[in-house]
Amino acid sequence: MDKVKNTEELKVLQSTLRKAAEEAASSKVVIKIAMATCSIASGSKPVLDFFKEEMPRQPLEFIIKSTGCTGLCHSEPTVEVTLPGKAPVMFGHVDVKKAAAIVNDYIKGGKPVEGTVEVCRS
Amino acid sequence: MKAQQLKIALRNCGFIDPEEIQDYIANEGYLALASSLSGSRQAVIETIKKSGLRGRGGGGFATGLKWEFAAKPEADRKFVVCNADEGDPGAFMDRAVLEGDPHSVLEAMAICGYAIGADEGYIYIRAEYPLAIKRLRIAIAQAEEAGLLGENILNSGFSFKIKLKYGAGAFVCGEETALIKSMEGHRGEPVSKPPFPATKGYRGKPTNVNNVETFANVPAIINRGADWFAAIGTEKSKGTKVFALAGKVKKVGLVEVPMGTTLRQLIYEIGGGILGDKQFQAVQTGGPSGGCLTVKHLDTPIDYESLIAAGSMMGSGGMIVMDEDDCMVAVAQFYLDFTMEESCGKCVPCREGNKALYNILHKITHGEGTMADIDRLKELAVVIKSTSLCGLGQTAPNPVLSTINNFYDDYVQHIVDKKCRAKRCRALLEYRVVEENCIGCGACKRACPADAITGELKQKHFIDQEKCIKCGACHQKCKFNAIAID
Repeated sequence: MDKVKNTEELKVLQSTLRKAAEEAASSKVVIKIAMATCSIASGSKPVLDFFKEEMPRQPLEFIIKSTGCTGLCHSEPTVEVTLPGKAPVMFGHVDVKKAAAIVNDYIKGGKPVEGTVEVCRS
Repeated sequence: MKAQQLKIALRNCGFIDPEEIQDYIANEGYLALASSLSGSRQAVIETIKKSGLRGRGGGGFATGLKWEFAAKPEADRKFVVCNADEGDPGAFMDRAVLEGDPHSVLEAMAICGYAIGADEGYIYIRAEYPLAIKRLRIAIAQAEEAGLLGENILNSGFSFKIKLKYGAGAFVCGEETALIKSMEGHRGEPVSKPPFPATKGYRGKPTNVNNVETFANVPAIINRGADWFAAIGTEKSKGTKVFALAGKVKKVGLVEVPMGTTLRQLIYEIGGGILGDKQFQAVQTGGPSGGCLTVKHLDTPIDYESLIAAGSMMGSGGMIVMDEDDCMVAVAQFYLDFTMEESCGKCVPCREGNKALYNILHKITHGEGTMADIDRLKELAVVIKSTSLCGLGQTAPNPVLSTINNFYDDYVQHIVDKKCRAKRCRALLEYRVVEENCIGCGACKRACPADAITGELKQKHFIDQEKCIKCGACHQKCKFNAIAID
């Protein structure tokens, strides 16, 4: 990344990045996988690998992000999926099998998958 | 209305990629640093003072005032230190922030450096947090590359560098003077204050030490204003507090609630209630330095003063919920075991006193206590609290005192009846065969490592109490509910 030279440049960069993120969210499937120590311990790494392998095979534009702790220890590993123009949905206790269901049923089919978790977004 | 979480320190945790500085910048990242650099140093300190932010590491000292103390002295070098030596059993707030949003801490440290006139910062982090260390390293490198840390940040003339210092996971190093000693390469032992680190800290220079969560609040306060922050919480405790909700609660997790939320709201509304819908017995706040609160304290609002008045403390944010199956005497013994191990050994009251406390508790949980021991516990506890050198010793007896105050009957039961209601204290248990259920299968006899069980096949079996080592193997093996624990 180039050096940010002053406050003005930082503000411009911030709004550019923000717009890019919003545009991406409106046209792409955004998949966020919690990858904190606790998430990894409960098995999120194979889930992340699964999405990284499986999503390129789908005729969809997508972004996969690994995030920090969602605070939802009781439901780790957690995966948050945002379909274009839809509200984000958080899935809990995701293993590779459930990840496959999320791809096939929710991402491709738009059908609900069981085991969603309520999240605080304030 | 159901209690809600409010995320300030955790605002980005779980939402952004901690290894991408662009994600942080897109979410107002480093704007607080930019706006701080465009104003005066005093203005930054005033904002923090006005916000009412208090230290989230446990003590609750006013952060703005602390910054002001470190800003005052003239010195050729000053330091900003981030205390990431999180060591309370069951607490993981700081780890979550560092792993999920490392840039918020880096940005806040730079803001603090500008405010107090320091150009060097250190994060004292325990080596047991490898992922947090890795993400911090990535974050520092990215921020330096982007010119948001390092020389002449945003062309303001202000420079700030951050380095990591690793701790070996000693609980006492969470105490700021011990932490500084450890940073300097000495044994992690506290020294008496004054002089405070603000005048004579790391390498003898003015040093400001704040906890990870305290720092994580700073950029949000600068961006949204002191009034916004001060409007959240109670009269004396502003903003929110992150808790690591653990133990016998349905939704264990990391939660952030406005100050003033009650323990009941936190445990039942946000935590979903007690696991298996059992009876709530106690909640331990403040880690090994805090106390156990009971049903009568459930409506206590969570703020620094109320928790102290109730006989516990805010602490760094560990919150362990206990149900009817937990033995409170054993809990006190567990915490004493921890503080006894973690005592640095420098001062006598802490080194010897806590060991003596532990030995008495051990006697009680093994059925060898006397009623006079309760008075001895109390007397010792008061002496240790009033004569120890640092916070570790001064607070170590708290779990003992609070359990004696709130669960006196449990102590009496262990001492007089030689029984443990929760069936946790092994030495006080008695395993016996329930004759009407025993079919004489012999499973218990085969499982017993002490040859304490006798009985012919298809005949009632018998446990010899003299030989029984109370391991519970027979109870686990029996499929017919024929082994009872008294």
